[in-house]
Amino acid sequence: MATKVEPDAAASGRPLPDDRLTEILYFLKLARYFDERMEALYRQGRLPGAIYSGRGQEGTHVGVAYALEPEDSLFPTHRDLTAQLTKGLDLNRVMAQFWGRIDGYLRGRDGNSHIGDWYGHRTYAVMSHLPIAYPVACGAALAYQRAGSGHIAMAICGDGATSNGRWHEALNTSAVFRLPVVWVVNNNQFAYSTPNAKEFAVPTIAERGAAYGIPGIRVDGTDVLEVYGVAREAVERARRGDGPTLIEAVSLRWRGHAGHDPAKYVPRELLEHYMLSKDPVKNFEQYLKDQGVVTDEDVAEIQARVEREFEEGHEYALASPFPEPGDVTKGWWVEDGYWVGEPGRGGGTEAS
Amino acid sequence: MATQQVEAGAAGHGAEPRGKRGEDGQATYLIAIAEALWEEMERDDRVFMLGEDIGVYGGAFKVTEGFIDRFGPERVMDTPIAEETIVGMSVGAAMEGLRPVAEFQYADFMSSGFDEITTVLSRYHYRAGVPLPVVLRGPSGGGVRASSFHSINPEPWYAYAGGIKIMCPAFPSDAKGLLKSAIRDDNPSLFLEHKWIYRRIKEQVSEDPELLVPIGSADVKREGSDVSIITYGAMVHKALEAADALARRGISAEIVDLRTVYPLDEETILRSIEKTSRALVLYESYRFLGIGTEVAAVIAEKAFEHLDAPVVRLAPPNVPVPFSPPLEDAFLPQIADIEAAVDRLAGW
Repeated sequence: MATKVEPDAAASGRPLPDDRLTEILYFLKLARYFDERMEALYRQGRLPGAIYSGRGQEGTHVGVAYALEPEDSLFPTHRDLTAQLTKGLDLNRVMAQFWGRIDGYLRGRDGNSHIGDWYGHRTYAVMSHLPIAYPVACGAALAYQRAGSGHIAMAICGDGATSNGRWHEALNTSAVFRLPVVWVVNNNQFAYSTPNAKEFAVPTIAERGAAYGIPGIRVDGTDVLEVYGVAREAVERARRGDGPTLIEAVSLRWRGHAGHDPAKYVPRELLEHYMLSKDPVKNFEQYLKDQGVVTDEDVAEIQARVEREFEEGHEYALASPFPEPGDVTKGWWVEDGYWVGEPGRGGGTEAS
Repeated sequence: MATQQVEAGAAGHGAEPRGKRGEDGQATYLIAIAEALWEEMERDDRVFMLGEDIGVYGGAFKVTEGFIDRFGPERVMDTPIAEETIVGMSVGAAMEGLRPVAEFQYADFMSSGFDEITTVLSRYHYRAGVPLPVVLRGPSGGGVRASSFHSINPEPWYAYAGGIKIMCPAFPSDAKGLLKSAIRDDNPSLFLEHKWIYRRIKEQVSEDPELLVPIGSADVKREGSDVSIITYGAMVHKALEAADALARRGISAEIVDLRTVYPLDEETILRSIEKTSRALVLYESYRFLGIGTEVAAVIAEKAFEHLDAPVVRLAPPNVPVPFSPPLEDAFLPQIADIEAAVDRLAGW
């Protein structure tokens, strides 16, 4: 699949300028390190709640989110924290959320990767009933279309959620109204423990796009540049007013559905193949080294930065206060004013 | 009360056009609702409507007839039959600053969008601080021989979800004023239009476009001293008729119309109980865990010392709304049932 080449990078033969390629490597390495460390803390009993590993799927998460502009909105799932970090969420506040602290983006109202920062980074606070955000993304896209703003909405779900009626409702509705939306399916081959073969009877998810009259594209989700190229094209198509695109990005979920799940249902050979040959982080790092974009020293520097930021985030989270128990009912109605002081809040609706 | 009964139209299915107010300036409940929508669309271009067959066809009950000619297909948006998406799309549009009003052909079909209502719409602001000024409106209630799937009173399902203000007006003026308030409110609202009332009840309705009825406030529709009938929706009209009959027998019934069922106006309810010391809670949602269950609990908990008799509830049994006229009549509380319940209370 051809990757779209940005004009200023064309001379190098690479699709993006070197500093942006290096930034992509940073997000990939941040995602991997965060994922591994959080799992360790979870297993040590030092992290409350739940974790949902995105390991092995970083190419999809970074690739699609990197194709968005700040004003574009993202409607992710619990597995897509990396996409939200790529959209710009602050790691400190993300970690404060995992520890249920007041400085978390949702002030302790929700935990783990059920996160979002609508006013700051236009990301929708994740909900579990997938693909519950797909219809909501239609609404945001409708608003962009009405306003002629040129913004677009992108929603992500897993292969499992494509069996749900809402997935089909949303794709159909978006096609009928030619909404500026990009539908991403992170096909990591398992819906919890259920393999693709027991989820759908068509060979690919991408070809379902034809049923709704929209393009469907299947891409190797472990290749971040390939994903980025396809996503960028879909984003531009939506921005031009040419309607939605369905992207199926195929990878493998290396870990269980959640922290408690050993994922013994994944065939060992399949997992080994993906871990050895299709590691999105290692492969992209090697590509940048081969291209002379980064040196071993640069990579070590990125790694050190990632580790430092994680430690800072961890300290920030533990130092942040818990929410006041007396505030448990606040924020139920808009008029109680609980959320008005939220940093970054602006726009949206106004009180009448 | 300026209200009078008018000839009933068809039960629904858009057999009659929306029409206009009468020459006397009176408006039916249906026309009052259409006026509220029209005026708010005129007032605020962020307001738009979406739903099934609301455009050229004018809606299943013709509430939105003529709107598409004035406001165009973008603001009077016909959607595919996809209720989860109608609700979800309303949420997303509200997050980006629009003020959607979604019509359901029958309130029964709101359950086809249940997850988006109870999981997204009701909880999002508490979780994430984004106001969702969304109105979901649809015809509810029985008594029109529309059977199980076109007659329900779904308000308890959504009241339990919380975070959504729920209105069930009984009169044209209240319907108009409450719907306008709902559209202007930054919280989500469920506006349930009792289809039995649509074309049966009319009254003088203010033409002042700024006349709002506050959400969460009940109204005493008839003053009385012997017993309080706490009710809402179509049951208000049955209670009023029963009160006339009771008055002829020397029993003075006070009728409290809740208007908004969530949040509940406890103050008005309790004030009435303090006055009459007897409470009949009359409601059209199911007896078990219906709206009246909560009303009865509030009275028992907060007005015990004022009561001269146990709180009595009168409501349909927890079975699907049946079709055959004798069955539906047995299902719904009737005027004779109300009188009998009041007599039991008066006997204490």
